[in-house]
Amino acid sequence: MNLITQAQLAEWLDGLARQRTLIAPHEVAGILLYRPVESSQEIAWGFGRTVMSVKEAFFPPTERLLTIQKSDGGIELIENLPEGEQVIFGVRPCDARGVKILDALFLNKEPVDPYYARRRANTTLVGLACKEMGPTCFCTSVGGAPDEASDMDVMLYEVEGGYAFEAVTDKGKALVSNLQFTSDDRDRPAPIINPQSATCGERSRTIPNPQSISWPAHFTSEYWPRMSERCLSCRACTYVCPTCRCFIIRDEVLPYTPGEPAAGAFERIRCWDSCEGENYRRIAGGHRQRAEKSERLRNRFFCKFYYYPEQYGLGTASACTGCGRCVDVCPVGVDITEMLMEVGR
Amino acid sequence: MAYEPRIIAYLCTWCSYTGADTAGIARLKSPANIRDIRVPCSGRVSPELVMRTFDQGADGVLILGCHVGECHYETGNHRAAKRLPILRALMSYAGLEPERLRLDWVSASEGERFSRIANEFVDTVRALGPVKWRVPSEEIPAMTRQFAAICGDVPLGEYDCAAKTDAIRAKAKELLTSGAVGYVVGYEVGPRGRTRPSFANTPEEADKLVWNPDCTYNLTTYLGKKRRPAIKGIEQPKPVAVVVKPCDSRAINVLLTENQFPREQVYLIGVTCEGTRHDHGALQVRCQTCNDRVPVVYDTLIGEPPAPVPEYPTPVALKIAGLEKETPAERMEFWLSQFDRCIRCYACRQACPMCNCPVCLYERDDSLWIGMGVNMNEKRAFHLGRAYHLAGRCVGCNECERACPMNIPISLLNMKMAQEIEAAFGHRAGMEPVPSPIVTVLSGEYKEG
Amino acid sequence: MTDTIYHNPMKPYLGKLVAVKDLATEIKLFRVELMNGGNEAFSAYQPGQFAFVSAFGFGEAPFGIANTPQRGPCVDFAVNRLGSVTTGLHELGEGDIVGVRGPLGNCFPMDQFKGKNLIVLGGGIGGAPLRPVIQTVLDHRADYGRLTILWAARLPSLLVFTDEYDEWRAAPDTDLHLTVDQADEKWDHNVGLITQLLEKVAPSPENAVTITCGPPIMIYYVTRMLAQMGFALKDTYVTLEARMHCGLGKCGRCNLGSKLVCVDGPVFNMAQVGELMETFL
Repeated sequence: MNLITQAQLAEWLDGLARQRTLIAPHEVAGILLYRPVESSQEIAWGFGRTVMSVKEAFFPPTERLLTIQKSDGGIELIENLPEGEQVIFGVRPCDARGVKILDALFLNKEPVDPYYARRRANTTLVGLACKEMGPTCFCTSVGGAPDEASDMDVMLYEVEGGYAFEAVTDKGKALVSNLQFTSDDRDRPAPIINPQSATCGERSRTIPNPQSISWPAHFTSEYWPRMSERCLSCRACTYVCPTCRCFIIRDEVLPYTPGEPAAGAFERIRCWDSCEGENYRRIAGGHRQRAEKSERLRNRFFCKFYYYPEQYGLGTASACTGCGRCVDVCPVGVDITEMLMEVGR
Repeated sequence: MAYEPRIIAYLCTWCSYTGADTAGIARLKSPANIRDIRVPCSGRVSPELVMRTFDQGADGVLILGCHVGECHYETGNHRAAKRLPILRALMSYAGLEPERLRLDWVSASEGERFSRIANEFVDTVRALGPVKWRVPSEEIPAMTRQFAAICGDVPLGEYDCAAKTDAIRAKAKELLTSGAVGYVVGYEVGPRGRTRPSFANTPEEADKLVWNPDCTYNLTTYLGKKRRPAIKGIEQPKPVAVVVKPCDSRAINVLLTENQFPREQVYLIGVTCEGTRHDHGALQVRCQTCNDRVPVVYDTLIGEPPAPVPEYPTPVALKIAGLEKETPAERMEFWLSQFDRCIRCYACRQACPMCNCPVCLYERDDSLWIGMGVNMNEKRAFHLGRAYHLAGRCVGCNECERACPMNIPISLLNMKMAQEIEAAFGHRAGMEPVPSPIVTVLSGEYKEG
Repeated sequence: MTDTIYHNPMKPYLGKLVAVKDLATEIKLFRVELMNGGNEAFSAYQPGQFAFVSAFGFGEAPFGIANTPQRGPCVDFAVNRLGSVTTGLHELGEGDIVGVRGPLGNCFPMDQFKGKNLIVLGGGIGGAPLRPVIQTVLDHRADYGRLTILWAARLPSLLVFTDEYDEWRAAPDTDLHLTVDQADEKWDHNVGLITQLLEKVAPSPENAVTITCGPPIMIYYVTRMLAQMGFALKDTYVTLEARMHCGLGKCGRCNLGSKLVCVDGPVFNMAQVGELMETFL
């Protein structure tokens, strides 16, 4: 393994933070989020999993697409493409898999989304393997692993005495080129699989691979109205999910300084939206498609496991990374793994 | 150039606007800082309008109506008199100096009074300096002030749940077997060992219902108009049975006064409560000093009233008192720190039994009240607006805060509003089936549906 | 990464309104002359395609393109005033600037329709995407068989393109049938739903294709009746709507099952609709 100590890692990260934006797990009011940090001291070392995924760094909750300037001479549209390099430290394999899944939509299918593409090109992912799987984690059921490195640019593994690391991509190699490290012959320790991981509480069965389920056959099942009875349509699941990406676009007036002539400037913004919202598919004229919450919840699961993989060419993978955030955040215990256990029975 | 405040004045057609005219005719000097907006009545000036006025950059807002007893619409100025002080308390709590919002009464002939009030108000606002309410994104202060999760560490004693579990199951079976109800909403334990809401549709399914210290959810949220779509052409669906704790039963009273459902459509399985537990195992903050241990409305009651608990300030009450002692600028910084991590997922709103608007004011397609961006001004407007809309209606079940993925201390807003309403009107939401004092009921008769 | 010269798919082309005409109550026709590269993008759009029209300051919304390039060079859109974007558009007049993004979506397979009889059913504003079909047939009359147009609206004041009916009627081998749900004193054509009119006209399914466009509930009943009358599902075409926001297959809103209305549609035949997991209703 190539080894660095905690001190060497901290120093390297401090150096990165001086050159570009360093985003890392950071504690805010008792919860963990990926946030820009000024130094390695602001990083929440020893963290498990953040509440929000790294999706925000590529596809922010609110993004200005264009500035629209209205004047007597007409209308001017100014693109608002994102600038600035960023490094994200502490990316878990499930999060990195999520980025790859979003790549299939924003980058690999025409037309390329220039906003996402810019951020993606300007970002380097420095991953941190999980030492163990948590009770709601199920990345192994969807083709991932707690120490999966293939979606990262650089990958770190916690070992005794510090971290083992490897540069996975050329971008990663460039980033670690100034990193001082030692080498030894030890093997990397394997991650601990918690007995509750990937089981949804049942010891005898693991959560089935969603791709082994014949989804169309289950579309009209009575199961969906029953399992969605407790859903509040609160949308928390879609917002913490690493791969949910529905958005809405609207023009809004830009605030102007009082006293200046009304500038007539607007911004065209896109914001996160959620298919769980009651008015998500309200069409002109007032008709609401997917009026029932069972239809909406079913759509979310089918999108994850059937529609999105087909629409964006994920092959045999699903659009779910098995991170378990939705399980933790749901206020009423709607559980995607329970659903997979039932449907995959 | 010295700072001159920009003031918006809402003047009612019948009295104060004419009063302003009278001042003008008498050549009394009124400051040029004031831009008048004529409204039919001071009661029309909704709190959302005032909040939006400040969001748009006003340094001060002046509302002038007819003297009490002289309103052209009889009770319009009563509405203003009740609502606007509550709004002012809320905005002050969020960091706006309360002197920037003034409500007063001027009649049509009182030109001098209008001029005096206008000049006084402009002088007051000028002395406060430019308003720091609308936050430009580049100036959001560093989020250094953190507030630990409000769970406290009062342990929950053990209590016997088996008897209550059996009683709930028996009652549910009885109701389902007789066909008196279509389904029973209660609690169950899921495969991961988490207690969660449960829906029993048959007598056999009643066996999954439980009672335990984790039954913290407010099941009345499944009863509002938002949950049960009206089905045209199908006869009135069967009643629903709901397991309600004391705090939940108060929500029932509020929902009944707001015509969310007819009383006969709901069968209430009331359960006395020794307190419920937080995820971390400690007693919920709202339970720490709760002495409403028996539901206020029920059709059947399960359990004996528990012993009363000692009264002492909870962490929430202490924090509110602490914030009240701080300066407006310090409070502003506190609240901006909290709203910064809000993602406008609206989980708080969806979890709340009282939030039942078909289209939320803050989620309109035409961005009428606030924009749709996840930006500081919009997030604050949503949270303050929702807190105001819940004043006198929120029963303190704290589902909003529990549902929030970001640990935003929403209870600090709702409890503050509850304190203000209780101090001003002696009203506690849901103890009786009467509406909140600041909710307007348009007709004396409640209609079905 | 190098930025190649590209047109940002989220950035609309600017267009000038050369004409704004009242078509019906709360429905206007906007004729847009495209600028700054837009005329190239819109040189070869097909019937059935749509575009996002921006009322700057409000937002953008998708509208079926209501004419053919042959009847250009401007692009026509029929807009019903229902929400904030359409209200913003209705406030504009000749000379004002709008934005246009497109052309997007798939199209009616007009080449496959050659030599066949065409039955076109339009309900209300749904007639707008059908107008380019009619224009194509009229401009290439010999290529197509009989053209039967069934045009419906709730009220006579809601019928669209009334000033073109004479041109349609005058074309060879072309019939126009009108119906309204509720007539006024001046109305002297059919009264009743479009399904009733369809029953009365009873076109033959022999060597025929149908195209239906209108509110989802109308599409449902009309296509059901067409199937009962013997029209093959694969020859029954519709255009569907599912609230599109990007039109590019990114925002995820318009899916019907695993198909996206903006890229796999909006034109579908009923055999394809039958395979969709979700209903379009």
